[in-house]
Amino acid sequence: MTLTEPTHDHVDLAEDQAVAPVANPAVVADADLVDDELLVEEISIDGMCGVY
Amino acid sequence: MFDPDVRYRLSPRVGLRPEPFGALAYHFDTRRLVFLKSTDLVGLVNALGDHASAGAAIDAVLAPTPARRRTYVAALASLCESGVVEPALESTT
Repeated sequence: MTLTEPTHDHVDLAEDQAVAPVANPAVVADADLVDDELLVEEISIDGMCGVY
Repeated sequence: MFDPDVRYRLSPRVGLRPEPFGALAYHFDTRRLVFLKSTDLVGLVNALGDHASAGAAIDAVLAPTPARRRTYVAALASLCESGVVEPALESTT
Protein backbone atom coordinates (compact mmCIF):
# COMPACT_ATOMS: atom_id res chain seq x y z
CA MET A 1 0.00 0.00 0.00
CA THR A 2 1.46 3.30 -1.06
CA LEU A 3 0.96 6.46 0.87
CA THR A 4 0.50 9.65 -1.02
CA GLU A 5 1.40 12.96 0.41
CA PRO A 6 -1.53 15.30 0.82
CA THR A 7 -1.69 17.97 -1.76
CA HIS A 8 -1.66 21.53 -0.60
CA ASP A 9 -3.69 24.06 -2.42
CA HIS A 10 -1.41 26.76 -3.62
CA VAL A 11 -3.01 30.11 -3.35
CA ASP A 12 -1.67 32.90 -5.39
CA LEU A 13 -2.42 36.39 -4.27
CA ALA A 14 -3.26 38.67 -7.08
CA GLU A 15 -0.76 41.41 -7.51
CA ASP A 16 -3.49 44.00 -7.56
CA GLN A 17 -4.81 42.95 -4.18
CA ALA A 18 -4.00 45.81 -1.86
CA VAL A 19 -2.75 44.96 1.57
CA ALA A 20 -4.36 47.09 4.24
CA PRO A 21 -1.76 49.25 5.92
CA VAL A 22 -1.05 48.21 9.46
CA ALA A 23 -1.66 50.90 12.00
CA ASN A 24 1.36 52.03 13.89
CA PRO A 25 1.59 49.31 16.55
CA ALA A 26 3.33 51.64 18.97
CA VAL A 27 0.46 54.12 18.88
CA VAL A 28 -2.20 51.44 19.12
CA ALA A 29 -0.41 49.64 21.93
CA ASP A 30 0.06 52.86 23.85
CA ALA A 31 -3.63 53.67 23.52
CA ASP A 32 -4.59 50.20 24.66
CA LEU A 33 -2.24 50.32 27.60
CA VAL A 34 -3.51 53.62 28.88
CA ASP A 35 -5.98 52.29 31.36
CA ASP A 36 -6.80 53.50 34.81
CA GLU A 37 -6.39 50.06 36.23
CA LEU A 38 -2.90 49.86 34.88
CA LEU A 39 -1.77 53.28 36.03
CA VAL A 40 -2.62 53.11 39.71
CA GLU A 41 -2.58 50.14 42.02
CA GLU A 42 -2.99 50.32 45.76
CA ILE A 43 -1.84 47.57 48.06
CA SER A 44 -2.19 47.17 51.77
CA ILE A 45 0.83 46.39 53.90
CA ASP A 46 -1.04 46.31 57.20
CA GLY A 47 -0.13 43.25 59.14
CA MET A 48 2.84 42.51 56.94
CA CYS A 49 5.36 42.97 59.74
CA GLY A 50 7.15 39.72 60.41
CA VAL A 51 5.87 38.08 57.27
CA TYR A 52 8.69 36.34 55.47
CA MET B 1 -14.65 63.91 45.22
CA PHE B 2 -12.01 64.68 42.62
CA ASP B 3 -12.60 67.79 40.54
CA PRO B 4 -10.30 68.36 37.55
CA ASP B 5 -11.09 72.07 37.68
CA VAL B 6 -9.49 72.34 41.10
CA ARG B 7 -5.79 72.79 41.74
CA TYR B 8 -4.21 69.77 43.36
CA ARG B 9 -0.80 68.90 44.77
CA LEU B 10 1.15 65.94 45.97
CA SER B 11 0.26 65.46 49.61
CA PRO B 12 3.06 66.48 51.99
CA ARG B 13 2.19 63.37 53.96
CA VAL B 14 3.18 61.16 51.04
CA GLY B 15 6.65 59.98 50.14
CA LEU B 16 7.17 59.40 46.45
CA ARG B 17 9.98 57.09 45.42
CA PRO B 18 10.82 56.96 41.73
CA GLU B 19 11.06 53.49 40.25
CA PRO B 20 11.79 52.25 36.72
CA PHE B 21 8.10 51.50 36.21
CA GLY B 22 6.96 54.82 37.64
CA ALA B 23 6.97 55.37 41.39
CA LEU B 24 5.93 54.09 44.77
CA ALA B 25 3.82 56.40 46.90
CA TYR B 26 3.61 55.80 50.63
CA HIS B 27 1.19 57.72 52.84
CA PHE B 28 2.75 58.14 56.27
CA ASP B 29 -0.57 58.58 58.04
CA THR B 30 -2.73 55.93 56.42
CA ARG B 31 0.20 53.62 55.59
CA ARG B 32 -1.26 53.12 52.18
CA LEU B 33 1.14 52.02 49.49
CA VAL B 34 0.25 52.98 45.95
CA PHE B 35 1.98 52.00 42.76
CA LEU B 36 2.11 54.61 40.05
CA LYS B 37 2.68 52.46 37.01
CA SER B 38 3.49 55.19 34.56
CA THR B 39 6.36 57.64 34.45
CA ASP B 40 4.01 60.07 32.74
CA LEU B 41 1.67 59.84 35.71
CA VAL B 42 4.57 60.47 38.06
CA GLY B 43 5.57 63.56 36.13
CA LEU B 44 1.98 64.72 36.19
CA VAL B 45 1.68 64.25 39.95
CA ASN B 46 4.89 66.18 40.53
CA ALA B 47 3.67 69.02 38.33
CA LEU B 48 0.14 69.26 39.74
CA GLY B 49 0.91 72.13 42.07
CA ASP B 50 2.37 74.21 39.27
CA HIS B 51 -0.89 74.52 37.38
CA ALA B 52 -4.16 76.25 38.07
CA SER B 53 -6.10 73.00 37.96
CA ALA B 54 -5.59 69.29 37.59
CA GLY B 55 -7.07 69.43 34.12
CA ALA B 56 -4.66 72.17 33.11
CA ALA B 57 -1.78 70.10 34.48
CA ILE B 58 -2.86 67.11 32.42
CA ASP B 59 -3.11 69.18 29.27
CA ALA B 60 0.21 70.91 29.84
CA VAL B 61 2.24 67.89 30.89
CA LEU B 62 0.77 65.20 28.67
CA ALA B 63 -0.96 66.97 25.76
CA PRO B 64 -3.29 63.97 25.72
CA THR B 65 -5.91 62.71 23.33
CA PRO B 66 -9.46 62.90 24.75
CA ALA B 67 -9.43 59.23 25.68
CA ARG B 68 -6.02 59.47 27.27
CA ARG B 69 -7.12 62.59 29.17
CA ARG B 70 -10.07 60.73 30.64
CA THR B 71 -7.74 57.96 31.73
CA TYR B 72 -5.44 60.32 33.55
CA VAL B 73 -8.35 62.16 35.15
CA ALA B 74 -9.52 58.80 36.47
CA ALA B 75 -6.01 57.96 37.65
CA LEU B 76 -5.79 61.26 39.54
CA ALA B 77 -9.20 60.58 41.03
CA SER B 78 -7.87 57.27 42.34
CA LEU B 79 -4.82 59.00 43.77
CA CYS B 80 -7.05 61.59 45.40
CA GLU B 81 -9.12 58.86 46.98
CA SER B 82 -5.94 57.25 48.27
CA GLY B 83 -4.74 60.55 49.68
CA VAL B 84 -1.68 60.71 47.45
CA VAL B 85 -2.85 64.00 45.97
CA GLU B 86 -5.00 66.59 47.67
CA PRO B 87 -6.57 69.94 46.81
CA ALA B 88 -3.97 72.66 47.00
CA LEU B 89 -5.04 75.23 49.53
CA GLU B 90 -4.88 78.77 48.34
CA SER B 91 -2.21 80.67 50.22
CA THR B 92 -3.47 83.75 51.91
CA THR B 93 -1.29 86.83 51.85
